[in-house]
Amino acid sequence: MKSLLSVLLLAACTNAVAQMKVAELPSKSPLVTFRIVFTTGSAADPPEHPGLAYLTAMMLADGGTREMTYKQIVDAMYPMATSVHAQVDKEMTTFSGETHVDNLDAYYKLLRAMLLDPGWRADDFKRVKEDAINFLRVSLRGNNDEELAKEVLYQNIYQGTPYGHYSVGTVSSLEKITLQQVKDFYHQQYTQANLILGLAGGFPPAFLETMKTDFHKLPEGPGFRPRAQNPALIEHTRAVIVDKDTRSVAYSIGFPISVTRPRNEFVPLLVATSYFGQHRMSGGVLYDAMREKRGLNYGDYAYIEYFPRGMFQFEPSPNLARQYQIFQLWIRPVEPPTAKFTLRLALYELNKLVKNGISEEDFERTREFLGKYANVLERTDSAALGYAIDSLYYSIPPYKQYLKTRLASLTRDEVNAAIRRYIRTDKLVIVAVGKDGEELKKELTSSDPSPMTYNSPKPAAITEEDKTVAQWPIGLRAEDVTVVPVGQVFQ
Amino acid sequence: MIAKLALIACCTLAAFGAPAPQKVFPYHYAQEDLPNGLRLITVPTDYPNIVATYIVVQTGSRNEVERGHTGFAHLFEHLMFRGTQRFPSTKYDETMRRIGASTNAFTTEDFTCFHTTFSKEDLPTVLDMEADRFRNLKYTEAEFKTEALAVLGEYNKNSSNPFRKLDEVVFDTAFDRHTYKHSVMGFLPDVQAMPNSYDYSLKFFDHYYRPEFTTIIVVGDVKAKDVRKLVDRYWGSWKRGTFKPDIPQEPAQQAPRANHVAWTSPTLPIMTVAYKVPAYTDSNEDSVALDAVASLAFSRNSDLYRKLVIEEQKVDELGADHTDHVDPSLFEITARVKDPADIDYVRDQILATVKSFREKPVDAARLDALRKHQRYAFELQMDDSGAIAEVVAAYVALRRSPETINKIYDRYAELTPQAVQRAAAKYLVEDGRTIVTLTGPEDAK
Repeated sequence: MKSLLSVLLLAACTNAVAQMKVAELPSKSPLVTFRIVFTTGSAADPPEHPGLAYLTAMMLADGGTREMTYKQIVDAMYPMATSVHAQVDKEMTTFSGETHVDNLDAYYKLLRAMLLDPGWRADDFKRVKEDAINFLRVSLRGNNDEELAKEVLYQNIYQGTPYGHYSVGTVSSLEKITLQQVKDFYHQQYTQANLILGLAGGFPPAFLETMKTDFHKLPEGPGFRPRAQNPALIEHTRAVIVDKDTRSVAYSIGFPISVTRPRNEFVPLLVATSYFGQHRMSGGVLYDAMREKRGLNYGDYAYIEYFPRGMFQFEPSPNLARQYQIFQLWIRPVEPPTAKFTLRLALYELNKLVKNGISEEDFERTREFLGKYANVLERTDSAALGYAIDSLYYSIPPYKQYLKTRLASLTRDEVNAAIRRYIRTDKLVIVAVGKDGEELKKELTSSDPSPMTYNSPKPAAITEEDKTVAQWPIGLRAEDVTVVPVGQVFQ
Repeated sequence: MIAKLALIACCTLAAFGAPAPQKVFPYHYAQEDLPNGLRLITVPTDYPNIVATYIVVQTGSRNEVERGHTGFAHLFEHLMFRGTQRFPSTKYDETMRRIGASTNAFTTEDFTCFHTTFSKEDLPTVLDMEADRFRNLKYTEAEFKTEALAVLGEYNKNSSNPFRKLDEVVFDTAFDRHTYKHSVMGFLPDVQAMPNSYDYSLKFFDHYYRPEFTTIIVVGDVKAKDVRKLVDRYWGSWKRGTFKPDIPQEPAQQAPRANHVAWTSPTLPIMTVAYKVPAYTDSNEDSVALDAVASLAFSRNSDLYRKLVIEEQKVDELGADHTDHVDPSLFEITARVKDPADIDYVRDQILATVKSFREKPVDAARLDALRKHQRYAFELQMDDSGAIAEVVAAYVALRRSPETINKIYDRYAELTPQAVQRAAAKYLVEDGRTIVTLTGPEDAK
């Protein structure tokens, strides 16, 4: 049903409307998918106002327009079963939605007014702001230890850079942000220079021109490019322990890598991380060692691109393109008595990866997997459109084609060279969310062995390996561990 | 993975190639029974290259009738990935990875579903491997004990979410005898004791992993006759079983119930007001009328949402859940309250809204808007073959046929304001009500 992807950058045309960046994916589908991306985000937040980009986007997606209240918009969308969803990341703010072609004009009229003619009502602002604060205070700190660990990891690694705060902001900053600041941010950042219009599905041929004309109303603007600033070097492995009353210990571990999608080493590293820990799939090295063989937890995975909300989705959301990425391990919650052994096992397996690399057989299998998995990744119009926009942002060919072409010529040596160059087992940042933080700190910083016992007999190979793992150096000094009460995180 | 299926709006389905001018579901499907009782439903679509298989086993936490063995249907979802002699788990994983498949499974109160999405040329491989594990699953006691720990890991990762705890207590409080009393995950002591139940696990598999409980749904770039040939080849000699589950009936609730959860971490207060409602039915108006109440009274479009969330801003989350079930279950209204001082006020507002639906018919124009909403919501969710298969799987779990979608959509078409009122007046009543509140350490009442 999907036609060939056509990503158009109509620079040859003479007027500004025609020069607008557009990704379109026409098809015969009865549905029409919108992805309207502004290449700006939390990296554009003023340092004293983390969360400004987030609140601005939420005011558009969850607030009224000049002519209609939020309630009137909700009521108008109800029979169409549509909505507008906003996603805010460091360098991209995305408004997405889908409608049946029957309702295309009515839906687009609402979407257009929301993005181009916002209402800026004080009562909407109060609600949107409280929602953001409660999200941090309750939903992130309280309800989801795994996402909390991941976001604390990113915050710690990028501290002091434009990436150094969570996109939603902090409680104290959100409390202070004013509606005027939100309006100013909108006028400065929601510009034609930052805009990518994305449209997929069964829209009529003239529709895109109408959209381009409408969005030409936005100021041209200079275009946002985040200040280039690499994260600071990590001198020693360090840890943040988020202390909260919870049943188990959740880990997120990582370090920066200077590899993003356009780089030649991206695909080799993608093969390495897929082999080591493909998201939410069995068969990865970590998953096999930790869950399948030892029953330590529910799963363990590795990443080279930001992947929020991984507990709720199997495939990553597009339009989270970034100039800086980290290598990250996600160790799902473990029973507290096994917390130290688990961390050691993760580092032990990482060390094996660096030392041994990938075998020819595993390389071939992973290469074949990723080539086909690209079809699965882009199987919905919305995802395919999202990837097309990301490719436009990164200036690479359409992602599926890019991936398949690079995989076709890839060698095992290239993968192993990328592993040796980018993956390491020291100078890490470790984030743990668990209770009795000071006790956990003592445990993780001591060199005492952490022998493992099981509820069933294990093969000799595992018990032998466990003897090594039980003493594996974590390399964490007490002075490099910070214990933070959960109430202070993102405060 | 545990899934709680959200309300899925319904549509008509073309029955076996008949012209279907008014249908919102554009796909013709083939429904066939093998002699062993296995059912095959094939839905060819015009999404190219991709095929999704959803294999539905009609056993969920509802089937866990023995004391001390809650959570076993879900445990089995895990064990099914432990492999066979021919395809040990490592070979199964390797093959799935080689073919670039996305594969997983989920368990609900009523069914367990194993799903795989892949490129069309790999259909024979997938059907072969799936048939093999359904027929020849093999795991040692040691492997069983290890997998039981992974299930405990899943319990742990869920355990920091107060909404899950609240839901667990709502069902435990509302039910006395029926197995909906326990969650799909099971009671924690049972989950912790799972490693000691190897023998019971063999019995569970022998009872339920049988063709008469199983339906294979194949959606995508396929032809029905080709799929049938493959299913005959790989699944045809699977033996029918003899087990008949005996699910205890829940006696009628006689008086309202209430409970409270003291949550130890900071949270906003959350409240669920639940009512006992009948099982899913496509033969009368009950199910659709209650769906209508859920949407018109408590969705973002409702008057109560406008009042509590948008205008007064006392609540940040509000919604009703009326999930289709095989047996009588619950209609749940849940609200997260910003200030603990408003808990009673919000409860009273919810109760007043329920009362107004009992006493007055809804506006006919709003009911029409709901019908449109349901139809478009249904079409919008079918944006790829996997999504279509998932929709069909939810209905197959209830009636073992997508044909029920036809019927339930007819019920929507006939639904009147009076019928909505009748259903509210009959089922959303005080004697069938359970209210559970959850508050954090600072919010103790």
